[in-house]
Amino acid sequence: MQRDVGSLPLAPALRARLVAAGFQTAQELLETGPCGLSKEIGISKEEALEALQVVRQECHGDAARTTGGSGTTRKCTALELLEEEQAQGFIITFCSALDNILGGGVQLRKITEICGAPGVGKTQLCMQLAVDVQIPECFGGVAGEAVFIDTEGSFMVDRVVDIATACVQHCQLIAEAHQEEDHLKAMESFSLESVLSHIYYFRCHDYVELLAQVYLLPDFLSEHSKVRLVVVDGIAFPFRHDFEDLSLRTRLLNGLAQQLIIIANDHKAAVVLTNQMTTRIGQSQSTLVPALGESWGHAATVRLIFHWDNSQRLATLYKSPSQKESTIPYHITPHGFRDVQAPAATQNAQGTEMNPRKRPRREEQEL
Amino acid sequence: MVVLRAGLCPGLTEEMIQLLRAGGIRTVVDFVSSDLEDVAQKCSLSYKALVAVRRVLLAQFSAFPANGADLYEELKSSTAILPTGSPSLDQLLDSGLYTGEVTELMGAPGSGKTQVCLGIAASVSLGLKQHVLFLDSTAGFTASRLYQIFQGHTEDKEEQAALQRVQVVRVFDIYEMLRALQELRDGLSQQVLSSMGPLKVLVIDSVSAVIYPLLGGRQSEGLAIMMQLARELKTLAREFSLAVVVTNQVTRDSSSNAPLKPALGRSWSFVPSTRVLLESKEGSGERGGRQRLACLAKSARQPTGIQVELDIG
Repeated sequence: MQRDVGSLPLAPALRARLVAAGFQTAQELLETGPCGLSKEIGISKEEALEALQVVRQECHGDAARTTGGSGTTRKCTALELLEEEQAQGFIITFCSALDNILGGGVQLRKITEICGAPGVGKTQLCMQLAVDVQIPECFGGVAGEAVFIDTEGSFMVDRVVDIATACVQHCQLIAEAHQEEDHLKAMESFSLESVLSHIYYFRCHDYVELLAQVYLLPDFLSEHSKVRLVVVDGIAFPFRHDFEDLSLRTRLLNGLAQQLIIIANDHKAAVVLTNQMTTRIGQSQSTLVPALGESWGHAATVRLIFHWDNSQRLATLYKSPSQKESTIPYHITPHGFRDVQAPAATQNAQGTEMNPRKRPRREEQEL
Repeated sequence: MVVLRAGLCPGLTEEMIQLLRAGGIRTVVDFVSSDLEDVAQKCSLSYKALVAVRRVLLAQFSAFPANGADLYEELKSSTAILPTGSPSLDQLLDSGLYTGEVTELMGAPGSGKTQVCLGIAASVSLGLKQHVLFLDSTAGFTASRLYQIFQGHTEDKEEQAALQRVQVVRVFDIYEMLRALQELRDGLSQQVLSSMGPLKVLVIDSVSAVIYPLLGGRQSEGLAIMMQLARELKTLAREFSLAVVVTNQVTRDSSSNAPLKPALGRSWSFVPSTRVLLESKEGSGERGGRQRLACLAKSARQPTGIQVELDIG
């Protein structure tokens, strides 16, 4: 392999020494052997052996890769990708308007970012998705498990119980209406306990814990191969205070984003992140923009911005590779995330439904 | 900086190398630029042998000067201009993408870079029936969207064949990207046709996503790898007559009012020969929606600052 020495994943000091000693291609390195190498550049034999190990893996790893590694082969034609995409499911949100603008729901293998002002419903949607990912396939779901990484401490189990109960009841109704074999069988295993037991919850208190958790996630996911959703609730929170070195922050965030996209791709999972909003002061006015800077905007594949319009909550699809930009209204009810319906709606439960004339800031719903 | 080693050329033996090293000559450049009479005296080697070795080394390691007229003829015969699928963008790029060059698309998130890349892939694969290699580092490549673009252009059943001509490699790390480019280079130089076919366009979306995690901090290794990537891309474009299309991000200086500037800094700005900035502004009056503009930021052929409106179907 005529792979240039400068492009091999070795330690920078070692690389610099190799280049100074005159080695140009990986082939030359392999030919020299560990003894010759340690003599030429003055490193110990063990280090030389390790370095050659890495080089050999790089060069011959490609051959192994193309003959079919375990899902790490990432080379295919567009036709194969199309078939894969059409066979892939979506994670529905129970709000049909939102599903429509997303093209069917939250897509697997992509990073979706939800930005919004405080209290607009980001954590609610995350909890809804953690429940919805577990819907059995016969009901149109993905039948997967969820990982919830919480940095802000806003995960409320009671609320998840409410959402899960509503979801299970909804599926129960469908099963009873259709009376099909597989529906009834699926309902036996789809219950409140199973839903709650398949949400894996991690709590991270600062950015170091968050980074460590994300780097350890691939091992966790290979043990729990049914996970189809990874939620990081509050990716902005640990990075927004006490960071003096902004370039380090950009570097860490981008590394984190790449790590998440590798996880999403290798394990066929959807990654959902929530972000905060910050104010950009322009010449004559100030606007609310997503936090964490310009470069973070490129990290997510799909970006949703939630905002208020008087008392109505709106969701705008701001960035997507396959859908047009659009805005839809949505609702948060005691049962979870729902569509906006006509005022004579059927979802009232003892009058705790949103009153469209009042700004909805009830304690029971904002968690 | 190639070190003198036995076997580098016929006349160079191990003892010669030891004697030269004792005299302070380690690399080819030292050898070729030193006065051979002095070397012959200091290292007690024969002058004739040294001259012979030097001739071979020069032939092996130096670049050949080329005549301007020959170069022009060669360029005329080997360069192709590929349509991008959008007539206004073609106009901006002086009738299309030139092979042998690196073209860069930059823009804020949501401005349409991936869409333009998909459009280019569609036009080359469907219209010209050439192969396209798409290196995706952001998971933004959606085959169903590509299919949708195909359906907008043609009524026939050619979409399947066209989809097969677009090959997608998902690389999320700089080393994977370098490895993929190396594989491409090996494949092209051995002319292994297999599924590659006549490759004309290499699209990389996006290059800043893989380089950003390395830049910043106090180490300069990130810059070194970035320039390594730049060198790979330019050699690929030139040697195999490919049109390389790259997408980049934009960033802002720390003050909140600063204008947007392309990411990856000054060093990268010398790599592409043409740069197009994509913007999306709030639409004007009658159309509502968003208006997408493309502005030429750097070009070797056209005056910069030209703006056209793009239509992303």
